[in-house]
Amino acid sequence: MPLALQAKGITKTYGGVKALTEVDIDVRAGEVMCLAGANGSGKSTLIKIISGVETADAGHIEMDGVDVGRPSVTDSIDLGIQVIYQDMSLFPNLTVAENIAMSARVKARSKVVRVQAARSIAARVVERLGLQLSLDEKVENISVADRQLVAICRALALDVKVLFMDEPTTALTWREIDSLSRVVEQLKADGVAIVFVSHKTEEVFMMSDRITVLRNGAVVKSGAAAEFTPDTLIESLLGYLPSEERQLSALPVEDKAPALEVHEIGRNDLFEGVSFEVGAGEIVGLTGLLGSGRSEIAESIFGILPIDTGEIRVAGQAKPIGSVQEGIEAGIGYVPEDRLTQGVILEQSIESNLIAASLDKVSGRGGFLDSGQMARASQHAVEKLGIKTDNPANPVSSLSGGNQQRVVLGKWMETEPSVLILNGPTVGVDAGSKAVILDILRLTAEQGTGILMISDDVPELVSVCHRVLFVRRGRMDGALEMDEVSPERIRERLDR
Amino acid sequence: MSIDTGRQASRSVEQATPPWALAVKRNGSTFGLLSLALVLAMAFSAINPDSYATLLNVESIAFSIPEVGLMALAISVAMTIAGIDLSTVAVANLTAIFIAWYSRVGVEQGQGQLTATLIAVAGGLLIGVLCGLLNGLVIAKLKVAPILTTLATMQIFTGVAVAITRGEAAYGVTDPLSSFGYNSLLGVPIVFWLFGVVVVAVWLLMTKTKYGVSSTMMGASRTAAEYSGIAYTWVVTRTYVLAGLISAVAGLVLVSRTASASAGYGSSYLMLAITIAVLGGANPFGGRVAVVGAALAAIVLQLIASGLNMMGVSTYIYQIVQGLILVGVFVVAFERKRVSEAISRRRRRANAQTSQTNQQKEHQK
Ligand SMILES: Nc1ncnc2c1ncn2[C@@H]1O[C@H](COP(=O)(O)OP(=O)(O)OP(=O)(O)O)[C@@H](O)[C@H]1O
Ligand SMILES: [Mg+2]
Repeated sequence: MPLALQAKGITKTYGGVKALTEVDIDVRAGEVMCLAGANGSGKSTLIKIISGVETADAGHIEMDGVDVGRPSVTDSIDLGIQVIYQDMSLFPNLTVAENIAMSARVKARSKVVRVQAARSIAARVVERLGLQLSLDEKVENISVADRQLVAICRALALDVKVLFMDEPTTALTWREIDSLSRVVEQLKADGVAIVFVSHKTEEVFMMSDRITVLRNGAVVKSGAAAEFTPDTLIESLLGYLPSEERQLSALPVEDKAPALEVHEIGRNDLFEGVSFEVGAGEIVGLTGLLGSGRSEIAESIFGILPIDTGEIRVAGQAKPIGSVQEGIEAGIGYVPEDRLTQGVILEQSIESNLIAASLDKVSGRGGFLDSGQMARASQHAVEKLGIKTDNPANPVSSLSGGNQQRVVLGKWMETEPSVLILNGPTVGVDAGSKAVILDILRLTAEQGTGILMISDDVPELVSVCHRVLFVRRGRMDGALEMDEVSPERIRERLDR
Repeated sequence: MSIDTGRQASRSVEQATPPWALAVKRNGSTFGLLSLALVLAMAFSAINPDSYATLLNVESIAFSIPEVGLMALAISVAMTIAGIDLSTVAVANLTAIFIAWYSRVGVEQGQGQLTATLIAVAGGLLIGVLCGLLNGLVIAKLKVAPILTTLATMQIFTGVAVAITRGEAAYGVTDPLSSFGYNSLLGVPIVFWLFGVVVVAVWLLMTKTKYGVSSTMMGASRTAAEYSGIAYTWVVTRTYVLAGLISAVAGLVLVSRTASASAGYGSSYLMLAITIAVLGGANPFGGRVAVVGAALAAIVLQLIASGLNMMGVSTYIYQIVQGLILVGVFVVAFERKRVSEAISRRRRRANAQTSQTNQQKEHQK
C-alpha cells in the first residue's frame, strides 16, 4: 500500500516544555494506524501540527511522497486531511445539518448559507454512515454521543485522504462504537488512511492495523497491531504495567447511616420509582445503555434536574434538593459527563477551576478569598491527582485531555463531599492514570465518602465497585452484589 | 507518578526569565495602555507645546476622566459576565437629577448643608442600586438578553427623568458638593481621587472576593459555573446592582462638577464608554476582569479628546476616531492569533531562506 502521509522530525515546545521531539510517523492508504500514548504524551499536539492548527518548531509533512512543508489549516483541508478533534469543536447554536455541512462550505469558500443545501449534504453523509441523527436539532440540545457522531460526519462530508480521529469514542458506548467501526471498515475499503487515538485498549485492537506509541513526546515503538498484546501495549506506553485487578476498599466497621439513600425518586419522562442506597465508604457502580436514564438520575440527585417525586437522604437526613447549591450544601459532589462544557472552564486558570466548587471554603470574612488557602487547596489537588502542569496559573486549555479530567475530579475532591457521584470518571484517561484515579477513589471511600460511579467501562466497574446497579429505560433493573461482580456477568446483563 | 521532568524543566525556564519581563507578559495590555497614554501625551505636547502640557490642561483632563471612566467601569463589570449595561448614562443622569433636586428641597426645608448633602448622595446611590436591581432581575429571572433589557431600561430611566424635570435642566447643588466637584487635593481633583478609590475597590471586589471569582467564571462558561454550584441569579443580580451603583457614582461626579443635571446630558457618552471598556480589555463574551484597564483606557481616550480639541478638530471627527478605535480594538483582540501566526510563518520562511543561502554559501566555500 502506498504511503498516504508522512510526518518527519516534528518538534514542538510550549514555553519550556517539549511536547514533541523529532517525531516521525507515517500512514498508508487503506489502513488504520493507532497513535497510542499516555496523557500528555503529545498525540493531540502532533495531530494539530499536521492539520495546521499549531505550527511545529521543526520538521515537515509529506503527502503521497511530496514535501508540503508545514501546511496551514486551509492547506491541509485542500490536501484532503480531516480531523475529528478531541474537543469536537462544533457550533452549539447551529443545527446538526449546518454543522455537518460547515467544512464543505469552508472548502468551497462559499459565504452564503443555504439551508436546503446544508441539509442535503448532511443527509448524504448520515445515510452513507448508516446513522440516526435528527438533522434539524441544535447541537447544544443533543447528547454528547450524538455530538461525537456529528463531528465524525462533518469530517466525512468532504473527500478525505487522511482522517485523524482524536479520541472519537470517549462518549460512546459499545453500541455506537460498533457502528463507528463499521464506518471505519468502509472508509478503509475506499482507500482512506486513518489515524486513530484512543485510551480504550479493546478498541485499539479491534480497529487498528498498526500501532505507533508515543511516550513523553517521542516515538518509542511502532509496528503491526499483531505484534502487540494489550499488556505489552500498555507497558510500552507507560513504561510499566498498572494493575487492573479487582481490589475493594475496606468497608467501615461501625454502623453508620448510609451516605446516600434515594427512595422511589422520579422525574417526568426520564425515570421513575428509583430506589437504592450507597453506604458510607461504599463504591457503587451504576450502569446501563446510553439513554437508559443513568445520567439523569445522577443529575437529579445533584440538583440539576430536581426530582418530582420521592425522597433523597444524605447521611441519614432527608434533603430537599432543588438546585445545585442545595445539592452541594447537602454534601454531594458531581463529576459531570461532559468535561468540556460542564466540567472545566477552559480559559480560566487551573487554580480557579480547582476551587470553583469550594469558594465558600477558601473565602474568609466579607467574602474575601484567602489567597494562601486557595494556593494550598489547588496545590494539594495538583499533587494528589498528579496533574501535569508547570504552573497552576496556566489556563486549563493548556492541559492535555486526561489532565483536564483530573482537574474536574480535583475540584470535587476539594469539597470533601459525603457523597461523590462520578459520571465517567476516567473517560479519556490513560491506563496508568486510571489506576491512580481508581486508587484515589478507594482512599476517598475509606475515609467515609459514599461513591456512586456511573461508567461503561466494565473492567473499571469490576476493579473498584462493591456493588453494581443496572438501569434500563428509566427504572432500576437489578444489581450484582460483592462476589457476583465480574466482567462476564456485567456484560451478560448489559446485552440482555 | 512519573511525570515530573516537564515540571522541573519549565521551572528553570521561568527562573531564567527576569521578573520584570514576566510581569510585563502577565499584564501585557496594562503596560500597552500605559505606554499608549505616554506616547499620546508626548505626541500632543509636541504638536501643541504651549497649551497641551500645561498644568491647566492636565487638570482639565483629570476633571473630565472620572464621569466617563466610571460609566466605562460599569459596562466593563457587566461584560465580565458576558452582559452589557447600556443604561449607565441614564442611571447617572437620574441620580444627578435627584441630587440636584434634593439639594434645593433639603436646604429649603431647613436642613443643614451637610445633612442635605448626605441625604441627597445616599438617595442618589440608592437610585443606582434600584435601577441595577431592576436590570439584574429582568435579565436573570425573565431571561431577557442583557442588551435588550438595558436598552429598554435606558429608555425608561431617561423617560422618568424627562417626566420629573419636564425636560428642563435642574440647577444647583449644596456647597459641600460643589466644593467636592471643583476643588483639588494635592494638585489632583477630588473627583479624580474618588475615581481612583472606586477603581481600587471594584478591582478588589472583582479579583479578591468570592463574588468576583464567581462572576468571572459565570462569564467564561455559564454551564460549567452552574455545575460547580455558582448561582446564576445571585451573580447576575449582584453584577447589575454593582454596575448601577458605579453609574450612580458617575452621576454624583457629574452633578457636582457641573452643578446641573438634565435627562439628555452626556448622550454621546455611551459610545465612548463602550469604546473605553473594550479598549481596556473587557471581553464582550465574558470571563475577563478589566478594571484597571478600563481606568487606563479612560485616560487614553480623554488625552486624545483633549488633543484633538486643541487642534481644532470637530467633535464629529472625534466620534469617527472613537469608532475607528473600537473597530481597531476588536480586530486586535480577536484576530491577534491569526496576525501573529501569519507573522511567524513569514519569519520562518525568511529564516529557512537565509539558512538555505547560508548553506549554499558554505558549499561555495
Ligand atoms: N497551549 C499549550 N500551552 C502549554 N502547554 C501545552 C499546550 N498544549 C499542549 N501542551 C502540553 O503539551 C503536552 C502534550 O499535550 P497533548 O494535548 O498533545 O497530549 P495528549 O497526548 O493528546 O494527551 P491526552 O491523552 O490527555 O489527550 C502536554 O504536556 C500539555 O500540557
Ligand atoms: Mg489529546
